[in-house]
Amino acid sequence: MAEDVSKQTYDAIVVGSGATGGWAAKRLSEAGLKVALLEAGRIVTAREFTEHVPLYQLKYRGYTPEIAETRFIQRQCYACMEYNYEWFVNDLENPYSTPADRPFTWQRLRVLGGRSLVWGRHSYRLSDVDFKAASRDGYDVDWPISYADLAPYYDIVERYVGISGFAEKNEMLPDGQFLPPMKMSCGEVRLRESMQKNFKRTLTMGRVAILTQPHNGRAPCHYCGPCERGCMTFSYFSSPFTTVKDAIKTGNCTLITDAVVSHVDMDTSANKAAGVTFVNRTTKETKQVRAKSVVLCAQALESTRILLNSSTREYPKGLGNSSGLLGHNLMDHVVGGGASGTFDDLNVLPNASPPHRPTGIYVIRFRNTPATGKQPHFIRGYGFQGDSMPAFNFNAPGIGADYKKAVKRGTYNVSLGAFGESLARLDNFCEIDPNLKDIWGIPALRISMAHGKNEAAMMRDAGVTAAEMLEAAGAKSIRVTTGVEMPGMAIHEVGTARMGTDPKKSVLNAFSQSHDVSNLMVADGSCFVSSACQNPTLTMMALCVRACDHLVERFKRNEV
Amino acid sequence: MEILDREVSHAPIEARSSTLLSRRELIRAALLASAATALGPLFSFSQAIKSGLTPAAQGEDGSRFLSDPNWKPLFFNEHQNATLIALGEVIIPATDTPGAKDALVNRFIDLLLSVQPVDFQKQFTDALTFMDAESQRQFEKNFVNLSAEDQASLLTPWAFARAPSHWTARNKSGEEAPDHAQRNFELLKALIVSAYYNSEIGQKELGWDGEITHGPYEGCEHAAGTHT
Repeated sequence: MAEDVSKQTYDAIVVGSGATGGWAAKRLSEAGLKVALLEAGRIVTAREFTEHVPLYQLKYRGYTPEIAETRFIQRQCYACMEYNYEWFVNDLENPYSTPADRPFTWQRLRVLGGRSLVWGRHSYRLSDVDFKAASRDGYDVDWPISYADLAPYYDIVERYVGISGFAEKNEMLPDGQFLPPMKMSCGEVRLRESMQKNFKRTLTMGRVAILTQPHNGRAPCHYCGPCERGCMTFSYFSSPFTTVKDAIKTGNCTLITDAVVSHVDMDTSANKAAGVTFVNRTTKETKQVRAKSVVLCAQALESTRILLNSSTREYPKGLGNSSGLLGHNLMDHVVGGGASGTFDDLNVLPNASPPHRPTGIYVIRFRNTPATGKQPHFIRGYGFQGDSMPAFNFNAPGIGADYKKAVKRGTYNVSLGAFGESLARLDNFCEIDPNLKDIWGIPALRISMAHGKNEAAMMRDAGVTAAEMLEAAGAKSIRVTTGVEMPGMAIHEVGTARMGTDPKKSVLNAFSQSHDVSNLMVADGSCFVSSACQNPTLTMMALCVRACDHLVERFKRNEV
Repeated sequence: MEILDREVSHAPIEARSSTLLSRRELIRAALLASAATALGPLFSFSQAIKSGLTPAAQGEDGSRFLSDPNWKPLFFNEHQNATLIALGEVIIPATDTPGAKDALVNRFIDLLLSVQPVDFQKQFTDALTFMDAESQRQFEKNFVNLSAEDQASLLTPWAFARAPSHWTARNKSGEEAPDHAQRNFELLKALIVSAYYNSEIGQKELGWDGEITHGPYEGCEHAAGTHT
């Protein structure tokens, strides 16, 4: 590193280099601020991507004992594989605890780009039905912002990231700045038409952060399939090769990798954040970086952990926690409801040399909407992700030459899996476990979360509606799931430092700025007031850009 | 065990002479060139800590562990290995395309089991032992010593879903006992099938042409309403 980071005073420290941290670094450094971008892990380069490595070249073809030994929690993530498990945290080095009857799976990466390297890429706007949900059903509180406040920032983010999809003019899922959509299969077209005709529900192509045409210097998708193993053409959005790269290009941003942040340092007399303390991941040496402002983008649970570990005499319950709400209202979309089946009359053989479309379809929320009215058994709603494609039938019965033929004949599968809104509740929370530290000596989290009756009722309903929609479209061999999976499985954790107008009832203001410490921001998913049911990353990025622009304005007015 | 059927790409080729480039290699070369432009000079590979990379990310070809001419089982004894080879060839025989034996299915399962928990190892070897026990009971020979016809006839009843018989339905006990034999067979079949179709031979059996990319995805090209 060219400059001695401990001798500088930056305008802003950004903690975390993922989807939001990358945006914060880009937005602030492009506005002329001197930024230090801290990442707990190492650099990632395109040379280590494995998206084109065939499975048979992996020694254990996906079942390396290394994952069972060191990623025994991370392996619950679909994207943690023999190809890329080193991107995920080592569970032996990064412990957390849960009550025995409230399991929670915390799936995370510590490398440049964080989870943006392996994310699901579905990108949806929230609507005022989400921002003002409390006004409609009386549960909890509205967001302090409305759709109109965020729409221009959705535009900024979408134009830069590149979201493929098509407009539906559906009030539950506002349209955005779309690149041409990926294409639907015959089965998906059938389901879309049937759903519209029989239920007046909308199945749209997944709106995803994957390019379908050249965009901002990046090439379109080459349809090899497994984005979560990296993309040598950077066709899906990940921060290292976009926002972080832009930030560094300004000359205003210093990237500090292997910096495991333990806490925010305070200038107590001024009641301002003075910088952060971090432990070097490899040398375990402790260092401080100073700055005029601190922007946490470490992911909801990790940013909250940093603040809880930053308590002072003035903030004994955690920095910026005069409300007592820091760590509470932890949400993660509820998953587990859905259905699958086969379209036996669609005679399309599976093909091992096809273009692999790296995404699926999306069914827009249709429960408790202004158009559909109130559901008797639950509030809020869910959307479905899914797809319909021919597949090899490895489960075919029999043996011998006939079995080999049956495998190749395949089945035309169709499936829908729900992502439901997770209600904000005080008793879903994280706190510091007094008896647990990570290998850098930093106190670890105790996470206590369970989905409730509303989420369970929603997943039951999702199983039923998915099955009835598949049946109406002519699917056979339908199987229904109505369960509730362990919290954390959606990997959409949000809400532990909610925004609001009342400092007694929220941790952050409507610009993700701490009510208590004016130069401290939490610009990741922590600020969510409700989880809605849409995949949250696009909204996190839009909120982050809005928060950063506000910080820049305050710098210009000399308020920081 | 899940069968992964989305793995259809190929190895790096940088070292080869350009006159020998196949279409696959040309595509990869084109992709690499566009990647290099987009990446820019900001991050160099040397900045990455090599020890932090998975073997796959370091470019290791793990299939060489199976093709070693001096291969010896890590986990199975000679008889278990021979039984598994025979089972594999009945379940997925060489036809006009290669079968389980050619795909070295026994070698991969041996490697896989060598790193599995003891209870899973035991489940698998118990299933192999069971095949011999049933073979002895019906034909008074170990499985490897049966004719191909007898091997197939032993396995076939377990290879299809079972309907409750009218006899047992009317019987006092009401339900048939859980079929231990079928469960043993299904475990063996699942691993053999997975090891076969995830091998290079198995991928080619499914029609993989060795290319890494076949895009773009064109989707349904039929007129609206065709499918409903």
